[in-house]
Amino acid sequence: MPRAVTWLVLAVAILWSLGSADMGLEKLPGAMARLSEFLGRMLPPDMSIWPEVLQGMAETLRIAILGTFFAVLFSVVLGILAAETLVPPAIWRPVRSLLAIVRAIPLILVAMLMVGAVGLGPLPGILAVTFHATGMLAKFYAEAIDTVSPEPVKALESAGATRLQQLRWGIWPQMAPVVLRDTVFRFELNLRESLILGIVGAGGIGLYVQTYVRSFQYDKAATVTLAIIVLVLLSETVNTALQKRFS
Amino acid sequence: MSVAAALCDVTHQFDEHPALSNISLTLKEGETVAFLGPSGAGKSTLLALLDGRLRNWRGTAEVLETPYSATARPPRDARSEVGFIFQEFALVDRLSVYQNVMNGRLGRMRTWQSLWSSFGERDHLVVSGVLEDTGLTDLAARRADKLSGGQRQRTAIARCLAQEPKLILADEPVSNLDPANAEKILGLITGAARKRGITVVFSSHQPELSQRFADRVIGLRDGKLLFDCPSAQVSAADISELYHGTAPGAELRVVS
Repeated sequence: MPRAVTWLVLAVAILWSLGSADMGLEKLPGAMARLSEFLGRMLPPDMSIWPEVLQGMAETLRIAILGTFFAVLFSVVLGILAAETLVPPAIWRPVRSLLAIVRAIPLILVAMLMVGAVGLGPLPGILAVTFHATGMLAKFYAEAIDTVSPEPVKALESAGATRLQQLRWGIWPQMAPVVLRDTVFRFELNLRESLILGIVGAGGIGLYVQTYVRSFQYDKAATVTLAIIVLVLLSETVNTALQKRFS
Repeated sequence: MSVAAALCDVTHQFDEHPALSNISLTLKEGETVAFLGPSGAGKSTLLALLDGRLRNWRGTAEVLETPYSATARPPRDARSEVGFIFQEFALVDRLSVYQNVMNGRLGRMRTWQSLWSSFGERDHLVVSGVLEDTGLTDLAARRADKLSGGQRQRTAIARCLAQEPKLILADEPVSNLDPANAEKILGLITGAARKRGITVVFSSHQPELSQRFADRVIGLRDGKLLFDCPSAQVSAADISELYHGTAPGAELRVVS
């Protein structure tokens, strides 16, 4: 019975989406020709804009690096305040709720608000990434703190270790791999999400995507697309390699 | 011989249930003592008290000339004088055997130096020495989570010895071991302690092993001290009463 209900809900959802939206499905057959023409105009990619593309990519990278850096700083503080094993429920409960709300706001929306607040350029991008990433990273850090086993820490205290020594040689070794893994993972997400920030004027390569597509310069848009693909694949490779080292 | 620890009329309640009732005892410097008794007798609680980790108890306790408080942990110097071998070893899994053993020396170092792994020459010497004594020299670089159970236990013992304690407390060091290994481990702990003139207290529920390795056996049952006498004088009746509660009304026999 529950399984039949699941299928029914699924079917209704799909039919509702097909029937209600004015998608213009009838345009699909004729679109094939235009799509191939569109792709044709992307080839060959216009490599003359390579210097600008590199510059845009560098700016995106800087936004991701600085956004991650500041998010880490905020997350260390908020992560401690959201850890069930460190602070009373009166603190970690509201902090966790706050982080959930922060996480729920899409990056592009935050970026638009930041552009409104501080103007165009990479600064609103950095602020938006910092804000958005902290919502996830602080939660991850709190969970890393909560998984630390208290017994080894107790043993160090019994041997006369100070609080700082307990933190350095009892607590940190236990949470380090999780924290490093989460941070690298969040950096990769930040980089991917920063690629489109320029569309709303928040800096980086996104500006060129916007400009070239809007002005029908598809050969230049193709160059930007290629550069983005290379950067994402590269960051994914580096991330995978790093993840294996943290165990 | 001077006194290593003295407890007077110590009482502790756990969930309104008496965990220790009016315990008084004196540990002499250099002797090896076994706390013998069934589980729940209060052995671990008594060891935690001697280690300065128990809170909310009444009575007086003085360990290595430091009076213990029921509300605060002992000062750093006092904590580093008392070594504890935990039943579950309590190692930091991701650190090497060497660093785990070095952790035993943290109480004797300056905090700031130890944070950057800049340990003194003497610290390295002591660690190498105890690794040798516990047969761990070849495993020094191995991570603690890659060790067998026996190797983990020896690392825990090495960490305790690296602390250069005057008193070693071991909570059920052989409860999970087969007889041959139990003898090896108790031999290692008591042997290393004797060589250094360290007082040892270990808890156990095995009468024969306790009598064999300790100079003195203290019988505990339901948080009460049932007997306290030299190992050779523990009788079959004492053991029977300890585990089966027979011979009720028999008088507390203290010989020392």
